[in-house]
Amino acid sequence: MRGPAEQHLEFLPLKATWLHILLALAEGAGHGYAIRAAVEERTAGAVRLWPATLYGALRDMTADGLLEERAAAPAPGDDARRRYYELTGLGRGVLEAEVRRLERIVAAARATEALARP
Amino acid sequence: MSGAALRGARRVYGLSVRLLPERFRSSFGAELEADFAELAAHSGERRGVAGVVGATLRAVLDVAWRALVERLQGNGDVMTGRWRSPRGRRARPGEVAMQWLGELRQAARTLAARPGFTLASVLTLGLGIGATVAIFAVVDAVLIRPLPYPESDRVVHIRHHAPGLNLSNLENSHGTMALYRDLARSFSAVALVEGNSYNLTGSEVPARVRALHVTPSWFDVLGTQPLLGRRFVEGEGVAGGARLAILMHGAWRTRFGGTADVVGRTIELDGQAVEIVGVMPEGFTYNSDDAELLLAAEIDRTQDFGTFGRQGIARLAPGVELAAAQAELARLQAVIPERDSDLSAEFLKNAGWSVTVERLRDVLVRDVRTALWIVLGTVAFVLLIACANVANLFLVRAEGRQRETAIRGALGASGPRVAWSFLSESVLLGLAGGAVGTAVATLGVRALVAAGPAELPRLEEVAVDARALLVALGLSLLAGILFGLLPLPRQLRTAAGALREARGDTGSRERHRMRHSLIAAQVALALVLLTGSGLMLRSFQRLRAVEPGVRTENVLALGVSYGAQGGPEAAARFYQQVLEQVRALPGVRSAAATNSLPLSPSGINGGSFSIESRPRDDDEIPPVTMYAAVSAGFFETLGVPLRSGRLLGPADDTPGANAVWVNEQFVRLNLPDGDPLRERIQLGGDEAPWREIAGVVGDVRTFGLAEEVSSMVYVPMSLTQSSIGIDLMQLVVHTSVPPSSVLPAVRATVGRIEGRVPLTTARTMEQVLAESIADASFIMAVLGIAAVVALLLGAIGLYGVIAYVVAQRTREIGVRLALGAPPAGVHRMVVRQGVTLAVIGSLIGLAAALPLTRLMRGVLFEIPPFDPVTYGVVVIVLLAVSALAAWLPARRAARVDVVVALSAE
Repeated sequence: MRGPAEQHLEFLPLKATWLHILLALAEGAGHGYAIRAAVEERTAGAVRLWPATLYGALRDMTADGLLEERAAAPAPGDDARRRYYELTGLGRGVLEAEVRRLERIVAAARATEALARP
Repeated sequence: MSGAALRGARRVYGLSVRLLPERFRSSFGAELEADFAELAAHSGERRGVAGVVGATLRAVLDVAWRALVERLQGNGDVMTGRWRSPRGRRARPGEVAMQWLGELRQAARTLAARPGFTLASVLTLGLGIGATVAIFAVVDAVLIRPLPYPESDRVVHIRHHAPGLNLSNLENSHGTMALYRDLARSFSAVALVEGNSYNLTGSEVPARVRALHVTPSWFDVLGTQPLLGRRFVEGEGVAGGARLAILMHGAWRTRFGGTADVVGRTIELDGQAVEIVGVMPEGFTYNSDDAELLLAAEIDRTQDFGTFGRQGIARLAPGVELAAAQAELARLQAVIPERDSDLSAEFLKNAGWSVTVERLRDVLVRDVRTALWIVLGTVAFVLLIACANVANLFLVRAEGRQRETAIRGALGASGPRVAWSFLSESVLLGLAGGAVGTAVATLGVRALVAAGPAELPRLEEVAVDARALLVALGLSLLAGILFGLLPLPRQLRTAAGALREARGDTGSRERHRMRHSLIAAQVALALVLLTGSGLMLRSFQRLRAVEPGVRTENVLALGVSYGAQGGPEAAARFYQQVLEQVRALPGVRSAAATNSLPLSPSGINGGSFSIESRPRDDDEIPPVTMYAAVSAGFFETLGVPLRSGRLLGPADDTPGANAVWVNEQFVRLNLPDGDPLRERIQLGGDEAPWREIAGVVGDVRTFGLAEEVSSMVYVPMSLTQSSIGIDLMQLVVHTSVPPSSVLPAVRATVGRIEGRVPLTTARTMEQVLAESIADASFIMAVLGIAAVVALLLGAIGLYGVIAYVVAQRTREIGVRLALGAPPAGVHRMVVRQGVTLAVIGSLIGLAAALPLTRLMRGVLFEIPPFDPVTYGVVVIVLLAVSALAAWLPARRAARVDVVVALSAE
């Protein structure tokens, strides 16, 4: 049997698309277009998730248990025609594991004098 | 406007979404289109129509990529084991490689389990790839790669032509080169090159060495510097002599021990002191010339403008194109009459005078270009046939594995997964074939360079190098992928249809069609090769049937070089003395000397002459002839028949004599009416003496069997002027014993008379004859081997297919026999099937051979490319072999045991 931590490690290093989607959903459920808009806003337009890539990733992430689909719109005012996705426990764990991994890399980089912050 | 753009964009995107597999579209199609509509509108607001177009393009690409990924992933619900990592993860370093290795290991195991199949495929491929790579290496080194000088494509070769004088290539004279040096602006440097041979003393052994007289500008034209010492500089050159020398690297090593102190030393060339000032770098050659020395020369304006035959090269000035240089030199021809009154404008016009500027490389490889491309095409054809054979083997194997594929499909292996397992096997086979091929190519190229066909320029540069290896790798992968893909469509369908049709009876028609096409293609390729080699064979027969005009059995030819010092009288006396003593040797019937050995185009002189009884105007073009210096006994020794007059006796070869001999061609061209024996001719300029024609002898193929008979004048060597050099002569010895057995005695005789005289090549006339047709022999050998291999592979392929078909149809044949069909009828039916394939292949092959063999026109001798005899024989041979290949399995079909056939399954 594998422990949950090992299960998280199975997914590392995480594809950039997946990381951005997990980040976008970390604050709460959202639909495809909202995820796309959130990612674009956070990265100031540097990362654009084109629709087919986005939905392909959402499907695969759901199949792998990182996301789950919510049957109904979570709140009034949401678009009822759209499917909403939210993080599962596994999804949140994978996100945290990936962020920790990145932190270690950043820390290692900082420790290098040439790259230290001014 | 933007509304229309948006509607258009949505329609385009909607269409592109259809590329996606159904299951993806049904889940997400609506959302994709809705998202795209918002996205496009957003882009439109910000950047107008351009924004919409850009967004649409990106979004369509995104869909197309997704569609590809989705389809390749196959049925996403069923995944087989180790093939993939969790989808969200980037591949870890080495992971993909490990998966590949795993597949390859599996493939290697599968192949090792069938050593017969594997060995046959690898060897077939190896031979095909090896031959192709070897010839590629040659073609690459000789035809494709630039010459080994900086910016070598700017080095050009200048030549003059006078078709009206029957002189297609005059090269240059000192006069023309001075003209271009002074006036041509297209060149940054102009150099004159002249070859000559000298007796070298001052090194360990006296030797005859070849030297190139080059102007100091030669180093600027080629952009090359000596390795040791220095180059020649302006003003150091001497016209017609030698004062300073630079050694080629090879001569420095072999003759001077490769020591650096050689610079500054003095050597003797024909008794003249020459100082060594430098050594050229290793690997440097000029036009594949085997010269051992460079001598400083200069362009000499005092020399006769009309004496041509010197090589002229130049480097194009920066920014000047070849065509511009050509145009400038063409204009400069108008200046020639100002510089030499003999070459008047009228004369130049009558002569059809012209100049050409060509890249040096193109000039160098012109003679072998056709032959090399033919050979490369030939081996490529053999490779194709080999591939067709292996592909057929692969198809058979794939059929045998249909059950396995079906089971893997049923267990959920995706299309790509099945494809990959086939591909890894075929690619592995291809690579193994490539490895064998590389070994074959390396050995082949080594053998070729060692054999060293003299006609092949730049041979020293030929090697299986990185480029050739890359070609080998490319061919292996290409072949491997092809074999893997051929059976694939069928296999994938089997995987999709799972076990539904595991017996594999349906679809066999399609399979047969592919196998049959492969066989027809093989027959077609074999026909092209057989035709090519048949044409060469017929052409070679014609060539061998040509009367050389001289005796070739029991004749020894040996080069003896007295050298230029002492003058022609001393040289003639020396050769006469040698001949007298050689004639007295046991086993020698007769002996003579000539400066130009028949059948080999070396040492021959040519020029214009006058006939006393036919004076001509100044503007009339003089007739030209070739001439050779010969000793008494020359015609008897070489068996040249006397047609009229008398033979050349000892009294004619004395300085006071005045008789020359001509051949029948000379009479045909110049004295068609009247009695040649009453005529006097003048060789060379107006001051030359008038000589009487004392005899007419039979025609000799002076330049080689394949060359036209030229008009000849034979001048006794004692009468030669400076225009006919006799410093290097060929002794020809007619023997009553095997000719090579008298060689030691002849050598000893020459050494006794004059120890310092070097002897050069010794050959029998039969060897000389063989060398004169070496080109044709080489192409014929290559094409012949290729054709035999092609025929063999084609026959094996046909046999294999028919045998397989018979095995497949055992049941059907059994039924036919049981219903009373006569065995002979069954036999005929099977043979007919094979022959039908061969006929179809032959027709395709004929259609391909007709245009292809026309490319051979340049290498054929007296045989038209469309030679009905060759074509007829080839088709008959091919059909006969095909019938035989089909007949063997057909016999088995006719002997099918009805009971066994029907009770099986």
